[in-house]
Amino acid sequence: MRPAAPLWVLLPALVLLPVLALLPAISHGGGWELVGQFAAAALRPSLDPIVVRSVLDGLAVTAGIALLGWAASLVLGLVLGVASSRLVWRTCSGSGTPAGWIRRLLALPRSIHELLWGLLLLQLVGLQPAVAVVAIAIPFGALVARVVSDLLDALPTANLEALRCGGAPGPAALLIALGPPLLPQVISYGGYRLECALRSATLLGVFGLGGLGTELRLTLQSLAFSELWTGLWLLLLVMVLLEALVGWLRRRWAMPTRLGLGQRGVGRQGREILALALAMAPVLALVAWRLGIDPSALLQWQGWPPVGPADWAAVVALPWPTLVGNTLLLTLVAAALAVGLAPLLLLLAEPWPPVGALVQGLWALGRLWPPPLTALLLLFVLQPGLLTGALALGFHNLGILGRLLLEAAETTGARQQQALLAAGTGPRLALLYGRFSGLARPYLAYGVYRSDVILRESVVVGLVGATGLGSQLLEALSSFAADQLLALVGIYAVLTLLGEDLSDRARLWLLETPHGDGHPQEAGGTWR
Amino acid sequence: MQLAAGERVALLGPSGAGKSTLLAVANGLLEPDQGQVRWQGEPRARAVRARRHQQARIGTLWQDLRLIEELTVQQNLNAARLAVWGWPKALLNLLHPLETAACAAVLQRLDLDPALLNQPVSALSGGQRQRVALARLLRQEPLLLLADEPLASLDPRLAADLLALLLELACPPRALLLSLHRPDLLHGFDRVIGLRAGQLVFDRPATALEPGQLQALYAGCEAP
Repeated sequence: MRPAAPLWVLLPALVLLPVLALLPAISHGGGWELVGQFAAAALRPSLDPIVVRSVLDGLAVTAGIALLGWAASLVLGLVLGVASSRLVWRTCSGSGTPAGWIRRLLALPRSIHELLWGLLLLQLVGLQPAVAVVAIAIPFGALVARVVSDLLDALPTANLEALRCGGAPGPAALLIALGPPLLPQVISYGGYRLECALRSATLLGVFGLGGLGTELRLTLQSLAFSELWTGLWLLLLVMVLLEALVGWLRRRWAMPTRLGLGQRGVGRQGREILALALAMAPVLALVAWRLGIDPSALLQWQGWPPVGPADWAAVVALPWPTLVGNTLLLTLVAAALAVGLAPLLLLLAEPWPPVGALVQGLWALGRLWPPPLTALLLLFVLQPGLLTGALALGFHNLGILGRLLLEAAETTGARQQQALLAAGTGPRLALLYGRFSGLARPYLAYGVYRSDVILRESVVVGLVGATGLGSQLLEALSSFAADQLLALVGIYAVLTLLGEDLSDRARLWLLETPHGDGHPQEAGGTWR
Repeated sequence: MQLAAGERVALLGPSGAGKSTLLAVANGLLEPDQGQVRWQGEPRARAVRARRHQQARIGTLWQDLRLIEELTVQQNLNAARLAVWGWPKALLNLLHPLETAACAAVLQRLDLDPALLNQPVSALSGGQRQRVALARLLRQEPLLLLADEPLASLDPRLAADLLALLLELACPPRALLLSLHRPDLLHGFDRVIGLRAGQLVFDRPATALEPGQLQALYAGCEAP
């Protein structure tokens, strides 16, 4: 007995059963009134001019940090991506070995979450706007580099070989043969990374690196829910507008869809793309000036606070199996919640469009609401711990996966679903059989990748004592225990790299169609 | 326009005449802007369940077949029963395909090997897929067969075979309404309906149709 494709997407939702069974044990009755106040405040956000101005200022800083971090990561990623492409090295120097070395080097910055980069840089160079920008640019740049090199190495090489046979020099042949097919995919992926950068910039703010996140955390901690909702609604507006803009540009330029199920080809509006890229330069300069970014200040290290000699015995004595086990369990529960609940909610809401709109609204909130703040909110009614952290991370990633599922559903299985509806099938079963069948493999492949991201993100819910490694790491940071910090970052990096390797294998397996007529890169293969 | 039980009706007309729209109205995917659709003498049901019950007796053969590639042949055949099955059976079918004997019977009726039941649809040849789509239609046990240009992308031999099969399956009390773009394939139909720009141009027995009417239908002028 082997479950058919539509069931695959629902199976992770089975994690709800143990989660619901455990919830009564960790809940406390104290905060329901506060949760009610929080929910009620959504309808009456503060319109006090001082609050609105403060929120707008914070939002401007967050958006500026996101834009600069994103732009820097794209430039960094493109350069490093080309430098770590085996095809490029083979074409230019005859050997692909250096590409392998550069890839391995890039694995480390990629494996460390931007929050960790931010907190480490904060210790080294002090609080300044550039810290958040660099904290985003480093891991994002390494991620973009990997995607670019993967894309380059997967492109058909017939045109390149033809140009080389005609005597074209390596760099020129690479640019002409591989540039046009690479461009739309990089731009499409870049748009997605901008959304990620906005979320990350908000998260960094929660941890004191400036911008709206700081405002959100302070208002939540002081229970000023109306002021909190002023920030949330504005952030939601910006996020929805950004997603709509990215989606519109993707359609206008005929870019691949996020699950890679749609059209894949060279963008048709080359001039528009070029004009927009050129227009970005002065905008970025203006944003950097407004934020007071001073790159030279990054070079003025303030030195680590005085610390005692390393105590490696204490490091070894840490409860590593528990820390690692809790981190993995947290990741699995959060991933299963996010991956399984998105299709389940879509299915439940299918017959009622208003409920569907409500679910989508909830997902949008989940996407923009940083997990540590969800965790803090959950603490009103739940005890701190692994499950609370998993719920917070699961909610955030549910928002991301839900949107992706909806986006993919627009282009997959519509005709099959319509055929079933015409034959009298109910809307839920038509969705399950008609659409989820085609979506199952690419959606789960993305879900596997997302699990890999959740493992990295588990550090951000450390403040609710949830994550094992994450909470230990934050503790080491705040107590300047450099030895523990080094060991924990190392273990985190190893775990995330192992997770990345596992998820890569799982995605390849999922995306191989039973008859080998699909290409692993076709669906979800590029979304890191 | 009326369709009697057991009647086999061909729908002709140039592109944009409204053939597909008419079929979509007939199977309930579209609501008519004007007029009323009646099923077995009664106005089409408005209540959701009753309407689905009516739709379950109307089967559509789509030009692009609309088989679910990721499921097996048997699961595809059983998808035609979802309107009458509840959730437990529908979910069970995804775990372990149900009603093997009934599925094998419809395959055999269409000269297909029952061993195909466990094959994924994506592994079938073009001809096999056509027949599996027909088998799914039979599995639905419809009283009205609708077919939207099912012969459009087929070579002449396959088109003739499929048409013969459809005409054979449309035996009383089952009726057939099939849109065509090839007037040379009208043999075997009881009636022919001509549509142009959403208007009924003619509706007459197939044997009484004159070549001039067909030419006028496609040329966009009145018949002499």
